[in-house]
Amino acid sequence: MRTLRSVASWLMPVVPESRVAILRTVLYLIVIIDIHLFVRDPIPLSRNPELYRPLLMERLFHLPPPSVPLTIMLYLILVAGCLLVAANVLPRLAGWVVAVAFTWWTAIGMSYGKVDHDHLALVVALWVLPTVGVIADRWRSVERSAQAGWALKCIQISVVFTYFLSALTKIRSGGWSITSWPESSILLWAIIRRPHGLGQFLLPYPELLHVMQWLSFTAELTAVIVLWLRGRALLAAAVFWMGFHVFTLAFLYIHFAPTAICWLAFAPLERLGPWLRRIKAGRRQRTGRRAPRHAVAVLGDHPIDSSG
Amino acid sequence: MGERVRAISPASFAWRIAASVLGIGLLLNGSLRMSDDAWPFGPQSQYAFSPASDATIVITRVEGLLADGRRIDLPLRVETAGISRAEIEARIPEITTDPSLLRSVADGWTSRHPAEPPLLRIWLVQDQTQLVAGGVGRTRAVELATWGLPA
Repeated sequence: MRTLRSVASWLMPVVPESRVAILRTVLYLIVIIDIHLFVRDPIPLSRNPELYRPLLMERLFHLPPPSVPLTIMLYLILVAGCLLVAANVLPRLAGWVVAVAFTWWTAIGMSYGKVDHDHLALVVALWVLPTVGVIADRWRSVERSAQAGWALKCIQISVVFTYFLSALTKIRSGGWSITSWPESSILLWAIIRRPHGLGQFLLPYPELLHVMQWLSFTAELTAVIVLWLRGRALLAAAVFWMGFHVFTLAFLYIHFAPTAICWLAFAPLERLGPWLRRIKAGRRQRTGRRAPRHAVAVLGDHPIDSSG
Repeated sequence: MGERVRAISPASFAWRIAASVLGIGLLLNGSLRMSDDAWPFGPQSQYAFSPASDATIVITRVEGLLADGRRIDLPLRVETAGISRAEIEARIPEITTDPSLLRSVADGWTSRHPAEPPLLRIWLVQDQTQLVAGGVGRTRAVELATWGLPA
């Protein structure tokens, strides 16, 4: 019973709801960017019905094959829905609509032969954020809840699972062998296939590429540890993984932006509002006007990980 | 000061536990047993395979013959051809059996380049690079399919 309770309190830590309110604003704006920059092809792809191969999910729910009117409708729904939730307006209703629409939109983008793996955390985020419901006072909320904690924990788990599961898949695809992927010519393969990044300079050094494969494989396999890190250790892990993403972008032209942005679920975002207010108040003081006393109060100055 | 805590009912506590267990289970199942078809619960299989040290690495391209006699590369990107390289690569067996499937590239490119002369014929080409003992060997170009556009 005690184990169950500690598992439950780990899954649902009581955290400031303003953290979710701010994360909503960021992530739903990111979705709008995403449908223009990353999963941007559903509308043009829907002009090629002969290349459409529905995914399991699309067959299971008997989703109609994509057409231009359908994909344009999804696009418009996404833009409108995301703007509403980004403003923390109708977070439940508009949130569910965006979750369904974005999952469908992304599934369409992956139904023409290529499936990407950088959207897991963002899709999960869109499905769990509506469950927090209305947050009174939005960014300025002073309430805390397990509902907010659970949503954030789900996003955190999907971020680290993106790495951890990819290590599992590498072990599986190598015939359940730990060494086959790190010892393979995968980076060479990736660099030759994407001959535009800085990776060109590494082509003459296959041994160095093997070392990098071992490093990234080890990091992915142990990524779950991040869920138990706090404070500076957590910050160090976040910096490491951001570096990893910058590296794959520069050397291979592979970005994992939707995953990288979901790292914000680890951040004490509730400090943002008070911090901005302090800066504003400080500026007012310097220009000679007295800052209103309440604005200086350090509202959300909790420790980095205020989870219970 | 962030002291107010919103209550959580036993029911909403319970379904959150159940959803977490179900979600983690589906994800593990996807990575250990399923294929990309199970997206978003499929394996994280991007770059997860293990090419051998003597593997052949292919880059698939599409070339087009224009009415003015130029043979040019039609870049396989959504902005230039309406479809990306990976999507064409996934369909290579179908395209070699039925080269008219290259129509999607021809149409996509033509509609985005109205000022260019019309396309007469297109080719599906592969640059095949041979790895030798884990290093980079020779590259050769191979024609996989060709399709003449209906006049």
